[in-house]
Amino acid sequence: MNKLSIREFSLFFALILIWMFFAAINPEYLGARNISKMGVELAMTTIIAFGMLLVLLPGQIDLSVGSGAAFLGGIASALVFNHSFPAPVALGIGLVCGIVIWLLMGLIIVKHKLPAFIITLGGLLIFRGLDHKVIDGTNVPVSHGTDNLYTYLTEFNLHPIVGWALITIVGLVFIYNKVQQRKRRQKFGFEVDTSEVSFLKIFVVIQALILATITFNQFQGIPLPVIILAVVGCFVYYLTEHHTLGRHLYAIGSNEEAARLSGIPVERSIVTTFVILGVLTALTGFIQASFVGSSTPQACEYLELDAIAACVIGGTSLKGGRGNVFGVLLGSLIMVSLVKGMTLLGMEPEDKLIARGSVLVLAVWLDIYLARRSGISDLS
Amino acid sequence: MSLLTCNQISKSFPGVLALDKVDLSINAGEVLALCGENGAGKSTLIKVISGIYTDVEFSGNLLLNDQSVSFYDLTDAEESGIAVIYQELALIPRLSVAENIYLGHEPTRGGLIDWETLYSDAQALLQKYNIDIDVSAPVSHLGIGQQQLVEIAKALAKDSKILLLDEPSAALTDDEVVRLLEIVKQLREQGTACIYISHKLDEVFQIADRVTVLRDGQSVFTSAISDCDQATLIRHMVGRDIHDMFPYKSHQASDTILDVQDLNVFDEQRQEQRLFNISLEVQAGEVLGIGGLMGAGRSELLLHLMGAYGKRHQGTIRYKGQVVNLHNPAEAIKMGMVLVSEDRKRYGLFLPHSINFNLSIASLDRCSHGGIINAEEEHQNNQHWFDELNVKAPSLEVACKTLSGGNQQKVVLGKTLMNEPSLVLLDEPTRGIDIGAKVEIYEIINRLKSQGKAIILVSSEMPELMGMSDRIIVLAEGHIGGSFERSEFDQEKLLHAAMHTQEVSTSA
Repeated sequence: MNKLSIREFSLFFALILIWMFFAAINPEYLGARNISKMGVELAMTTIIAFGMLLVLLPGQIDLSVGSGAAFLGGIASALVFNHSFPAPVALGIGLVCGIVIWLLMGLIIVKHKLPAFIITLGGLLIFRGLDHKVIDGTNVPVSHGTDNLYTYLTEFNLHPIVGWALITIVGLVFIYNKVQQRKRRQKFGFEVDTSEVSFLKIFVVIQALILATITFNQFQGIPLPVIILAVVGCFVYYLTEHHTLGRHLYAIGSNEEAARLSGIPVERSIVTTFVILGVLTALTGFIQASFVGSSTPQACEYLELDAIAACVIGGTSLKGGRGNVFGVLLGSLIMVSLVKGMTLLGMEPEDKLIARGSVLVLAVWLDIYLARRSGISDLS
Repeated sequence: MSLLTCNQISKSFPGVLALDKVDLSINAGEVLALCGENGAGKSTLIKVISGIYTDVEFSGNLLLNDQSVSFYDLTDAEESGIAVIYQELALIPRLSVAENIYLGHEPTRGGLIDWETLYSDAQALLQKYNIDIDVSAPVSHLGIGQQQLVEIAKALAKDSKILLLDEPSAALTDDEVVRLLEIVKQLREQGTACIYISHKLDEVFQIADRVTVLRDGQSVFTSAISDCDQATLIRHMVGRDIHDMFPYKSHQASDTILDVQDLNVFDEQRQEQRLFNISLEVQAGEVLGIGGLMGAGRSELLLHLMGAYGKRHQGTIRYKGQVVNLHNPAEAIKMGMVLVSEDRKRYGLFLPHSINFNLSIASLDRCSHGGIINAEEEHQNNQHWFDELNVKAPSLEVACKTLSGGNQQKVVLGKTLMNEPSLVLLDEPTRGIDIGAKVEIYEIINRLKSQGKAIILVSSEMPELMGMSDRIIVLAEGHIGGSFERSEFDQEKLLHAAMHTQEVSTSA
């Protein structure tokens, strides 16, 4: 618990530093427009990172989500633009493809006991190849120029009043939950934060919600992808913290053999995580294509690595059994804030790649260093 | 003047005081036995002496030749002549014996490894201590006992002045133990100081010059070995007299829970038959003991009953009168059969997670609705078993890896019992746990018995098997070697049965 707070606090601190740094160079960085765009990009990275978290928890991995997202987005775009399908149908077909493909990959991995690393590495190449075939190596727009569900995915923004109403409800639910949780822990005789710290935590979150809403509303309102992100976040949070499946994932990741002997449905749990990841991959692919306006051959490149990096920076173990939603959210906030900041400064793509890689390595090194310093090593 | 002195050593972990002002000293050419129950602080003390904990992590002084020393790490301690032989093997399976012995200290010539010297030195070393092992064989080809001897040779190669042996005999056969004790004697004659940790008190009396007993992190007793006896040691280790080690309660005939007929099981991975014509039955409220040597197929039998091992070629399993065909442990657990496996760290626990997590993980269905866990119900169940099994820990939120062996085993028991089983399979339930916790586990077994649960108890410890069982069957190389009613229990007969079929099957 203690270790968790130290890590999350330092991530939070790093995030503030990053924001201050870029804002000092270019105040526009924290302007309403940039924040709104960043919200959409954050949604893409984080939605897929949440899916990745679910797969990493039981000790699996998926390297294919980047090309997979491009491929599924490509299918939807091609259906809309080349074959004039209605957007909802095209998106539906893309989604079903995602579910089926990830179900199959999951089944291959558990039934034949093949390493997920290899299967999804194959997927990474296969999906990219298929994507190029589907979009014929060119840019395929997501609409014929008129708005459809596909374009709405990133162009729709909540009306400010609706946004405020929504945020008020979310805030109240959050406060209620926190208070209930605290009461419950007290009743069980568990350690709780002092009331000042609890208040401070709630206060910070509520402040962040209000601030984000004000900023979004200054531009065009809360973007739809941010809403989708919030829904996915709540879903994955609930799954990992309050659902039997989530518990089982942590158990499988920390000791698969013991999990099996305890009667935990190991195979079914793992396949389920892949199916959920398939849905989220499709969703990310759609949002990405919608954001760019068309499916491009380079779409979603390195997305899988960004997702894994976000998880790892947020404290998820690649061996499984450790990681949580809040950490992943912070991890991907850091990644996205950096990339967006560097873009704003007009840095070359190659430099951005180098910076992203360095941040990942630095974050993991720092994490292990801090863990050792605080005397909590995995060695014992 | 003593070679090594520990002066008022204290070390605490969050919530536990592992060492509390421990004093200990050892002279050159002396064997000091360090005794104590699991969780008494022996391993922690070893880690302090061997430099795994640096001096900022504990309080008190380490004196080497009356000079205060502080070690930065393990290598630092090694350079001062302190070597450790751990109870868990730290060998690299694919490397040869000689390579393992000199791992990290390879003799070099011109920056490259000098293989001739490496092998001839290793050969000479093993010869000196009468260890008959081929130095060029990969370690993976050796038995556990031989591997342990290699581990010891590895420490000897460092010419240590102080050798710490942490339960070196745990995995050894009787012959190998004799070999080991001879080596220790040889070392003593050479002037090496040995700290010998063992649960086996007869070894302690054979080899040690002096003994120090740790209990709850304190050094409670130190004496020359000639001035004390086993009973004294046990009393100091446990802190009280144990009168009734096996609180057996007799059993009344009742319904048959499990009825196995003519079971033949094939191991598909190893491509060999493991169990031959096994028939047995267990009634409600009865403890069926299963004895036999290591590798006789006892664990395999339990795992097969749980649907977790092997392919059945023949035979029927009836559970509560119904023929069952189980494919995985999940099905077995749903029917009311549970297993506490022999290796709790590997097959039982989720070590980094809390007691809370571990207790309810196998029975989440009981406290969840539509998959959503009701925190309140879960906590009530967990608290109930935590109290019922008398788990000694500061709270339910403590990680299982910080618990002692006995308390870990109680958590595993709690985890399986939360499924409210009718049939409980226990595979070596008291292995590696201290005497006090053992008695508690026996009491739990009796409680289950009086609740009308059927129990199969696999154990390698004869006194335990004979003390707790209503009936015993003995397995030998996958066959039933003998079956005994409680009135017929006799250590020699049981042992004979365990060896018996071996003779028959090898001569046949």
